[in-house]
Amino acid sequence: MTNDIRVMVVDDHPMWRDAVARDLAEAGYEVVATAGDGGKAVRIAPAARATVAVVDLQLPDMSGVRVTSELLALESPPRILILSASGEHQDVLDAVKAGATGYLLKSASKDELIDAVTRVHQGDAVFTPGLAGLVLGEYRRLAAAPEPAGSPDTPRLTDRETEVLRLVAKGLTYKQIAARLTLSHRTVQNHVQNTLNKLQLHNRVELVRYAIDQGLDD
Amino acid sequence: MGFEVPLWRGIAVFRIASLVYAAALVMQNFALLARPAGAWTVVAVMAVWTVTATYSYAEPSRRSWGMVAADLGVAFACMLSTGFFGGDAYLAVAPPLTATWFGAAPLAAAVMGGRRWAVGAALGYGVCDTLLRGEVTPAVISGVVLLLLAGYAVGYMTHIAAEAEQRFAQAVELEARTRERERLARSIHDSVLQVLAMVQRRGAEIGGEAAELGRLAGEQEAALRALVGVEQRPAKLTGAETDIGALLSAHASARVTVSTPATEVPLPSETAAEVDAAVRAALANVDRHCPPGTRVWLLVEDEGDAVVVTVRDDGPGMCAGRVEEAEADGRLGLAQSIRGRVRDVGGETVITTAPGEGVEIEIRVPSKP
Repeated sequence: MTNDIRVMVVDDHPMWRDAVARDLAEAGYEVVATAGDGGKAVRIAPAARATVAVVDLQLPDMSGVRVTSELLALESPPRILILSASGEHQDVLDAVKAGATGYLLKSASKDELIDAVTRVHQGDAVFTPGLAGLVLGEYRRLAAAPEPAGSPDTPRLTDRETEVLRLVAKGLTYKQIAARLTLSHRTVQNHVQNTLNKLQLHNRVELVRYAIDQGLDD
Repeated sequence: MGFEVPLWRGIAVFRIASLVYAAALVMQNFALLARPAGAWTVVAVMAVWTVTATYSYAEPSRRSWGMVAADLGVAFACMLSTGFFGGDAYLAVAPPLTATWFGAAPLAAAVMGGRRWAVGAALGYGVCDTLLRGEVTPAVISGVVLLLLAGYAVGYMTHIAAEAEQRFAQAVELEARTRERERLARSIHDSVLQVLAMVQRRGAEIGGEAAELGRLAGEQEAALRALVGVEQRPAKLTGAETDIGALLSAHASARVTVSTPATEVPLPSETAAEVDAAVRAALANVDRHCPPGTRVWLLVEDEGDAVVVTVRDDGPGMCAGRVEEAEADGRLGLAQSIRGRVRDVGGETVITTAPGEGVEIEIRVPSKP
């Protein structure tokens, strides 16, 4: 399992880039590429064929959000784990809506990083409490926004999903949530995953609709 | 610099046009002049002075009080000469030789010195015109009123222009300062903050005393990040509303995680202040009763008509009934400081706890007062 994981690290700060790459290499993951800016990351990604890209949200040449979109537009795209310092609310939300699979704070420990990379590789959503708060807020914003005529597709959370997401935002681990709601760990994971999938799907639909409205579809 | 330029240009145009008008009046009433040659000499002096004044006022370096005084002096002298060169017959049907040309000097004084100068010059004109005619005629009064109004308006415009110029300069300076601050913030973000975050991470991995150092580095990182404020949004929205998300974000630290929506969560400022105080009380309570290293999560949710703020810790928690018991005994500061505050702004508090499960305080307040 471990040997299939090929990681690309994108961070403009050499100290962080090296530390993250070293931690992952020590854990037995293959670090296939590192990049100090978004442009290089997008250029070398096709040859590197990474399965997971660890992307810093703040890059000198383009935003982490754009790097995420451009990497995901590649032929066999890596899954994206966003790594950032705290406080960049809107950017984190935008990156996740653009298709990032997970989000981790830079203050996270080595073990948390390795665990996050493993889960992102498997396609599991990796949430921090902060991201759960952002996603909850985004669903409420979408629900409150005046709906354009004939768009019944505004994503909504089920009661159970809201419940799970609130517990994640309050800092409970999946295990604790599973125990509290008497669900399986996997079910909790699926609920979290669904909240993200719906948001990403909605984002893609919105982008396509925008493109058609602007006459960019041809 | 710059806002006065159009005013000076306007005065120059006024002066030249008025000169033409004054010459036309002299020509029209030529037959009535007492000393025609002298009158034409006055018009010639006015023409020379028009060129001199227009040239002098064109450049800021050439504008001076001496110039304004000379301008007024020439204007008054030319006007008063009407008594000698024009004579009573002329004055009975025509204005003084200077006609509207006289106005240029008071207007220039108004731009240089403000409204008071214009008013003074207008009154001076009235006195001289009365002296010339020997009585106060309707022509004198209308001349003074026109000068007063024009001088006052130009003086006021100059005042406004000066103020606008000052504000513009302030805005430019503020923008420069903001830019500099952003540059510093970016630079700090790219260097110091990265190192502090790294120290925190490595410290936690090594453990022991290094972990303590790491924790300190983490706290400094959070403090510095808040100080440079690159990613912080201002809490104060308008006078009456505060973004509770931004307000509570100030509590974030290595120990306290704050989760908010990406967009603003507006609350009446008073409600926000009470909620903030209640959250402080809850955090203080964790400090007092929980072992060090207890973590706290703050969640802010906007439900449209209400805002829910949850404070959860992973401390040892309390037995069921302990909260009520302590509350009944009046021992628990938590109850008074949180429930009381929240009730005051029309909200409600739910406290849930169990041994080993920490304490969870849910505060729900209405979004509208």
